[in-house]
Amino acid sequence: MKIGRLPALVRTTTFRLALLHASIFILFSASLLAYLYYETAGHLGRQAQAELNAEFQELSAAYRGGFDRLNQAVSERSGARGKFFYLLEDGAGQKVAGDFDFLPAAAPEGQVVDVAFDYDVRDARGNPLRRSAAGRISRLSGGGVLMVAYDVGQLGEINRQITEVVWRSALVGFVLSLIGGVVISRSAAQRAEELARTAEEVMAGDLTRRAPVRGSGDEFDRLSEQINAMLIKLERLVIASRSAGDSIAHDLRSPLTRLRNRLEAGLRASGPETSRAALEETIADVDGVLEMFNTVLRLSRVQAGATGSFRRTNVAGITDELAELYEPACEEKHLTFTYAPEAELYVQADRGLIAQALSNLLDNAVKYTPEGGGVRLSLRRLPGGEVELSVCDTGPGIAPEDRERAVERFVRLEESRSEPGSGLGLSLASAVAEAHRGRLVLDSADGPGPHGGLAARLILPAA
Amino acid sequence: MKVIVIEDDASAAAFVRQVLGDAGHAVDVCGDGESGLRQARAGEYDAMVVDRMLPGMDGLQLLKRYREAGGRAPALFLSALGEVDHRVEGLQAGGDDYLVKPYAPSELVARVEALGRRRAGDVPATRLSVGGLDMDLLARTVHRDGQKIDLQPREFRLLEFLMRHAGQVVTRTMLLEKVWDYHFDPQTNVIDVHISRLRSKIDKDFERPLLHTVRGAGYRLEA
Repeated sequence: MKIGRLPALVRTTTFRLALLHASIFILFSASLLAYLYYETAGHLGRQAQAELNAEFQELSAAYRGGFDRLNQAVSERSGARGKFFYLLEDGAGQKVAGDFDFLPAAAPEGQVVDVAFDYDVRDARGNPLRRSAAGRISRLSGGGVLMVAYDVGQLGEINRQITEVVWRSALVGFVLSLIGGVVISRSAAQRAEELARTAEEVMAGDLTRRAPVRGSGDEFDRLSEQINAMLIKLERLVIASRSAGDSIAHDLRSPLTRLRNRLEAGLRASGPETSRAALEETIADVDGVLEMFNTVLRLSRVQAGATGSFRRTNVAGITDELAELYEPACEEKHLTFTYAPEAELYVQADRGLIAQALSNLLDNAVKYTPEGGGVRLSLRRLPGGEVELSVCDTGPGIAPEDRERAVERFVRLEESRSEPGSGLGLSLASAVAEAHRGRLVLDSADGPGPHGGLAARLILPAA
Repeated sequence: MKVIVIEDDASAAAFVRQVLGDAGHAVDVCGDGESGLRQARAGEYDAMVVDRMLPGMDGLQLLKRYREAGGRAPALFLSALGEVDHRVEGLQAGGDDYLVKPYAPSELVARVEALGRRRAGDVPATRLSVGGLDMDLLARTVHRDGQKIDLQPREFRLLEFLMRHAGQVVTRTMLLEKVWDYHFDPQTNVIDVHISRLRSKIDKDFERPLLHTVRGAGYRLEA
C-alpha cells in the first residue's frame, strides 16, 4: 500500500498517533482483563473442582465400609440439600439413593469420568428452567454407579458477567483511548500546523512573521525559537541585500558619472598627452568600481557563511603577523604603533578572514589618525572567556549615536566622505565577527579627541 | 616564452594575447577545453593560461586531465571567482597560480613570467645570487659584496622571493600572496613600506641599486 494513496485523514499524524495510542491501550487492558478473569471466574471453577474431589474422597472412604455404608452416606447427603446432588445405582442400574433421577452419560467401564450436562428443573411457579451442571461418574468396584454433580448455574452466571464486563470495558477503553489519542496528537499536529502556516506566510513575502512560542520550553518551543532566529537572520540578510542594492546603485552612479565625463573630456582633448592622462585616470576609476564590487561579493559570501575553513587557530599568531605587517607603515606616517603580544589564545577561526577583518580595522586607524598619534593592536582573554582582538587609535573616533550605523554597508560618515574607501571595511569586519559567532564592538578609546578616538573590538568565542 | 591561452571569451583572449605579446612572448589561443587540451599536449609550452569557466570541459577538469597525462607546463588560472576556497580548488586541480578577473595587464605578465621561471629552476637551490648579493638558504644569511646584512625573518623571505624572481617584475599582490599568504589588498601601502625598509638595508650603502620600483606595476630585483 502506498502512502500517497491513503485518504487524507489516514495520512495525518493525528490519526496515526491516535491509532497507535488506542492499540497500545487495548493491548494493555486486554492483558489486565485476562489476568482479572483468570483470578476470578477461573478461580471459582478450580475451587468447585477441588470441593468435588474432596466429596468423592469422603464417599470412597464410606464405600470401603460396604455398599450399605455408601448408600447411607449418600442418603444423608442428599437429605442435607447441600451444594452437590447425588445418584447411586445398584449393579442392575436401579436407583438406590440420591436426589437426581438419571445418569446424564453412560457409566464408564471401571473408571471415573467427568461430565458436563444440562438438566431441567421447575421454578417456584412450575415453569421449566434449563440449568447447567458438572459432575463426576464412577463405577463402583462391587457393581453399581455413583454420580456426584453440582449446579454450575451460579458459577456460569458469574463467568458470563465477568466476560461481559471485560468486553464492555475493552470497548469503552478503545473509544476513550481513541479520543485521548486524538486530543493528545491534535495539540502536536496543531503546533506543527502553526509552524507550517508561519513558513507559508514568510514564503508569501511577510518576513516579519514569527512562529508562536508558548513559553512551555518543550520541543516545539525550541523548534519555534530556532525557526524564529533563522527568520530574523533571513530578514536581516534580505534587508541588507536590498539596501546594498540601493547603495550600490547610489555609490556607483558617482564614479560612473565621473568616468563618463572623463572619457568625454579625453575624446575632446587636443593632444595625445591629455587623452592619455584621461585614460589612466579612467582606469583608476574603473578599478575602484571593480574593487567595490569584489568587496560587496566577498561581504555577501561571508555574511552567507559561504566561505572560510574554520579550525582551532592561535589568534596571537595572526596578530603577530599583522603587527609586523603594519608597524612600518605606521612609523612612516609618524604614528606610534604599540602591540602587546600574547603567547596563545585559541579561537575556532579562519585565519584569512580574521586577518582581513583586522587589516580593515588597522587600515581605518592608519587612515584617520593624524600624524603624531598612536595606533594600538592588542588581544586578551575577557573575564567571560571570550577572546578580544582590538585596534585602538587616537583619531577623531565615532560619535556614540553613529557607531551602530558605521557598521552598515556603504555607510560613510560625513567626516570620512573626503577619504578614499568603499564604506565596506567595518561591514566586512562585522560580518567576519558574526561568521565566527562573535561580534564587532565600536567604542571610545578614551583618548583626548572629541570622541576619544576609536576602539574597534572583535570579540570571538574561545575554542 | 611560449604560452598557450585557453579562453572562450574572444575579446578577453585577444586582450591576453596582446598583453603577453607586447611583453615579448609567443601566444597561442584556444577557444574551448577540448581543443585546448589537445593543443597543450601537442605543443611544447613554457606556461599555460587557463580560464576557469569554459564551455564543455571546464578549466579545472582540463588541467586535471592534462596533469594526469603527464603534462608539466606550469599553469595560471584566470577566474572571476576569487575566494580562498576557489583558489584552493584551482591549486588542487594542478594549477600553479590563480589570478582573479579583472586584473591589471602588468599583473598578468608578472605572474606568467614568474611561472616560466619556476619551471627552469625546478632543482632546489641552497644559494641565491644576484649581482653581488648572496643569500645562503641553509645558514639563513645574506651578504652583499662580502658585507653581512642583518634581516628580520620576514625581510629574509621577502628578499628570497625577489631573488628567486630576479629580473622579473613582482607585483604587490604577488608579494602579499606569496610572502604573507594574504589574499586581500590592504588599503594601507604596507608592502611599499616593507620594500623601502628592505631597500635601505641592501642598497643604502652601495653605489649601484639592486631593488627597483617599476611604476604602476611593482618591483624588480636586478643587477
